[in-house]
Amino acid sequence: MERSFKKEVQALRLGDGDTFHGEGILAVTKALLQSGVSYVGGYQGAPVSHLLDVLVDARDIMAELGVHLETCANEASAAAMLGASINYPLRGAVTWKSIVGTNVAADALSNLSSPGVIGGVMIILGEDYGEGASVIQERSYAYALKSSMWLLDPRPDLPSIVRTVEKGFELSEASHAPVMLELRIRACHATGSFAAKDNRKAEFSGLNRIAGPPRFNYARLSHPPVIFTQEKLKVEQRLPAACAFIREHKLNETIAGELDDVGIIVMGGLTNSVLRALERMGLADVFGASRIPLKVLNVVYPLVPEEIRGFCAGKRAVLVVEEGHPDYIEQAVNVELRRADIQTKVFGKGPLPQAGEYTSDVLLEGLAAFLQAARPAGLDADSVAGKARGLIAHKPKAAAALGPLPPRPPAFCTGCPERPVFAAIKLMQRELGPTHISTDIGCHSFATFAPFSLGNSILGYGMSLASAAAVGPNMDRRPIAIMGDGGFWHNGLITGVASTMFNKGDGVLIVMQNGYASATGQQAIPSTVHGRTGAVPGVDIEQTLRSMGVKWLRTVHSYSVAVMTKTLKEAMRSAERGLKVIIADGECQLARQRRVRAEDADKLTRGERVTRMRYGVDDEICTGDHSCIRLSGCPSLTVKPSPDPLRSDPVATVIDSCVGCGLCGEVAHAAVLCPSFYRAEIVRNASWRERALFRLRQKVIGWLGGYGGEMAA
Amino acid sequence: MTSTRPITLLIAALGGEGGGVLTGWIVAAAEQAGFPVQSTSIPGVAQRTGATTYYIEIFPVKTAELGSKRPVLALTPGVGDIDIAVASELLEAGRTVANGFVTPDRTHAIASLSRFYAVDEKIAMGDGRFDQDRLIKVIKEHARDCLLIDMARLAEQSGSIINAVMLGAIAGSGRLPLTLEQLEAAVRADGKSVDSNLAGLRAGFAAAGAKTQPAITVENKRNAPVTPALLEHEVSYSMPALAQPTAIEGVRRLIAYQGLAYAKLYLDRLRPITDADEAASAHGRLLKEVARHLAVRMSYEDVVRVAQAKISPARMRRIAREELRVTNEPFSVHDFLKPGIEEFCQLLPSFLARPILRVSERKGWLGRFHIGMEINSTSISGYLRFLMLAKLRRLRPFGHRYKQEQMQIESWLGLIAKAAGQSLDLGLEIAECSRLIKGYGDTHVRGLANFAIIADRLIGPALAGQIPSPRAADAIASARTAALLDPEGEGLAKCLAEIEGQSALRIAAE
Repeated sequence: MERSFKKEVQALRLGDGDTFHGEGILAVTKALLQSGVSYVGGYQGAPVSHLLDVLVDARDIMAELGVHLETCANEASAAAMLGASINYPLRGAVTWKSIVGTNVAADALSNLSSPGVIGGVMIILGEDYGEGASVIQERSYAYALKSSMWLLDPRPDLPSIVRTVEKGFELSEASHAPVMLELRIRACHATGSFAAKDNRKAEFSGLNRIAGPPRFNYARLSHPPVIFTQEKLKVEQRLPAACAFIREHKLNETIAGELDDVGIIVMGGLTNSVLRALERMGLADVFGASRIPLKVLNVVYPLVPEEIRGFCAGKRAVLVVEEGHPDYIEQAVNVELRRADIQTKVFGKGPLPQAGEYTSDVLLEGLAAFLQAARPAGLDADSVAGKARGLIAHKPKAAAALGPLPPRPPAFCTGCPERPVFAAIKLMQRELGPTHISTDIGCHSFATFAPFSLGNSILGYGMSLASAAAVGPNMDRRPIAIMGDGGFWHNGLITGVASTMFNKGDGVLIVMQNGYASATGQQAIPSTVHGRTGAVPGVDIEQTLRSMGVKWLRTVHSYSVAVMTKTLKEAMRSAERGLKVIIADGECQLARQRRVRAEDADKLTRGERVTRMRYGVDDEICTGDHSCIRLSGCPSLTVKPSPDPLRSDPVATVIDSCVGCGLCGEVAHAAVLCPSFYRAEIVRNASWRERALFRLRQKVIGWLGGYGGEMAA
Repeated sequence: MTSTRPITLLIAALGGEGGGVLTGWIVAAAEQAGFPVQSTSIPGVAQRTGATTYYIEIFPVKTAELGSKRPVLALTPGVGDIDIAVASELLEAGRTVANGFVTPDRTHAIASLSRFYAVDEKIAMGDGRFDQDRLIKVIKEHARDCLLIDMARLAEQSGSIINAVMLGAIAGSGRLPLTLEQLEAAVRADGKSVDSNLAGLRAGFAAAGAKTQPAITVENKRNAPVTPALLEHEVSYSMPALAQPTAIEGVRRLIAYQGLAYAKLYLDRLRPITDADEAASAHGRLLKEVARHLAVRMSYEDVVRVAQAKISPARMRRIAREELRVTNEPFSVHDFLKPGIEEFCQLLPSFLARPILRVSERKGWLGRFHIGMEINSTSISGYLRFLMLAKLRRLRPFGHRYKQEQMQIESWLGLIAKAAGQSLDLGLEIAECSRLIKGYGDTHVRGLANFAIIADRLIGPALAGQIPSPRAADAIASARTAALLDPEGEGLAKCLAEIEGQSALRIAAE
């Protein structure tokens, strides 16, 4: 794993009377243990990758409590695992990245929420929305609505998050419905503190197993005819039970304010942002006391009709602060007020934008617009709005002062084994012409950015091959599908490979075999070779493909650009129909470096031979055309001012962070670039033979009139 | 309602620079001091070098003094609501300004002058670097206080990572309710690489205290060796002062490249340009530019020059000392060469080279047959191979490449001299088009082709009086920029179409 939480997880042992300090995801884990879960699991993906890492690092602590941990192969298997709570009083929690993970899990979730649960079930959703997000921008809310699962969106401070997790399990059990808890990126990584409680051992768990299954009960199956009864149960029993619980336990908060002819209904997760905006406008203090009343929805679904009516009654206007589209809450509030014949005007999308993240400037503008439209009694709305707009008026001018700045999206790391594959694809296309490239989710999707700018579609994790199924038959050239080994095991094996074999499809699949789910922080996958814990799952991709009947299969060392280019050309030109798979084999360099650096340091202290390799560019030979950079994009290959007093264009240079992966040399050769690249090697703790040979060479070269002698001194 | 507000700190960094660790140090120090504190981030998971930010709020009243009250801390940085904006890199500092986070009423901007170029800046075929002076100017204009220091260099000098230097600079701002000692304690408590981190912290703190803003990295130009003064003298009495240093550099370079006679040829070639310069009252502007480009073109990159450079003692010293940091360990340098048919023909006389190239082209061998070589230049045989090639210098003037180069140079000079008679700007623009011709193999061929296209479609018509000179100068400049946009030539094609479209419209209008 990229990040180790070995030290931090010790905080999970805290008990009554202790204060927990730490990050949001760690606090969630602590809350799970305080809630007495019997099992946990999930699939990695930002922003909850680290939650899974924490769970893995906390294995020992969880084992003491009898909690079972499952690192699932995908979100569907994580969701299906929740089936344990349908029949048994077991509390369970799983986590994944939403919206994409929820999409993958949807089938199991529907079948879970129809019969409902006995043990409390919580799904922790990393809501990947807004700044820093890496997936399509959709709301998880739709799943809550359609499947009758409750959606919690706590205020983003640790005490509130922890309480919501604990109460969420009770809510799930009280209403027999699964509960989802959404955490935005910043909430996952927010630090803070809360008063810890003792961890709770579950009634049943690995430490105290259930004797056997219950009596056969058809009602627990999601199968006709009981599905019709279950549909009614959802609305007639579970929904009212949930509303009652939410009211009784005051899961939602009301902040009173003196300007009470207006009000704001806000999703819990946005509360701090709204309070800060109000504070900057002079309408709240830093401790959260507001002049405008607020209804804070820590539970965004279901809405409790009595609470909505109670809050809106007597107000001329309310503003619903609801991020994302569609405006489910705003619609629901309108319907509720209509039903109760309450005439409060509802604002939401309008003063606030329909789409996009509600950042500080968006909220200031939205609140200003709302106040000017609603005109609360006793407030000079225009002056407050003017103040709000004045706080952000400088932004467009500041942006204009610099003009468009070069973007800096994430990129392949220095020495990444995936970069050479894209260099090879570029070289292949130079000769054979462009071809359709269906790309996938994972680090390799960075090839869609400059300098590669490769890829025509992204259809989801492990979906690249399947998404080319109808392209190939309609196009002159074979399409290429790119998939990581993470995506391969997550979904691609069945959705892509099995389907293509079944349909005798024709095309090229490149599997990036780097050994980990790397984009999410190097979690182990079934084919991981270097397990951090020593245990290696050892499932082999090549064997798996062969057993599925793939005949054309090549494994190529990913740094061999020339071999890769040749193999690609062969795959593209081959008269043989059928799926052609190239496994690009090269370990994730981040993981490799972490291992190799430690090994080398050990060797050096033991006095053993260690070579360090790095690449370089002769700045006198480089003419500053940067072809090499356009074929590589390596962070260590950059530019510097030309040392030539007569040249103005910057020249290429390799900086100290070079790990000597060899791509520079490979590309210089394969692309016939220029003779400025070199590889330099230094040998530490060399043998006497090596040292003698080196000295001899230096002497002779010095004698020939060269540089010898002086460096060996 | 109290007027005390949270102190807000925005950190802009690149993935892999330790921004998370830096944030952790500050949060730990604030917690230890008893202040309510919160940090958030949008870490770009595992990938390196993407832009990312970290955000911290510290409430400067101790929790113990607040009773049961707790401040509501925001998770997102507010536009116009930032006390300290720190960036590990100059462009990222510019981004915090562009996003509205740096304001003159309160923001203390701390930024490293070091640049880590973005891919878009690096892949340009010419110079795609963002204007550094503009970044510095805008940051200074928008901040209340400003500390611009080369943090990357300070980190290197102190043997630390940039995040420790940033911490020191933040401590030195005096805007946090935390002392240097409290921050040092947080670094110690963290327990990782304590000594180097503390060294970095102190370097950053000292730089913040000194308030001297060191000059931006001086460009490390390497001049050609000094040569017999005779030719240099000729330069000094025959040319305007502005052009002299360039022409002297040109003379020295060409003596090292080929010999005295070749340098004389250089000066002879500059004579008509000197006249044209004088006729246009350019006071050496034209001459300087032509002298610069001409020296570069006359010292074209052939196998001899590459071999010379590869066995230069200065080169080996640089690699051994600066890159490998050799003390007395054995080291080796391996060079990657892949000569093809064209490279072999460079030194052959034209009567041999021409038929070979003709046949190769017809058979499609050019660009296909290459000999990939990896030469250990630190071995005796490797060194000898380069030495032999370097010794072929005397044969150079008899070779095919030499003839071709001189022909192209003469024709380019002819165009400049003629153009300068019409308009100085036109002459300058044509001279500058020499930038297109560079590199090896495909790159070189593409550059020549681009120059030919511009010469054919713009320079020719301009000299024939079909395009008015001012417009032609503009058009040539745009076309040159466009030709350096993309290697596929799409930019140039589009640009020329636009220029010719405009001309057609104008003619139609007239």
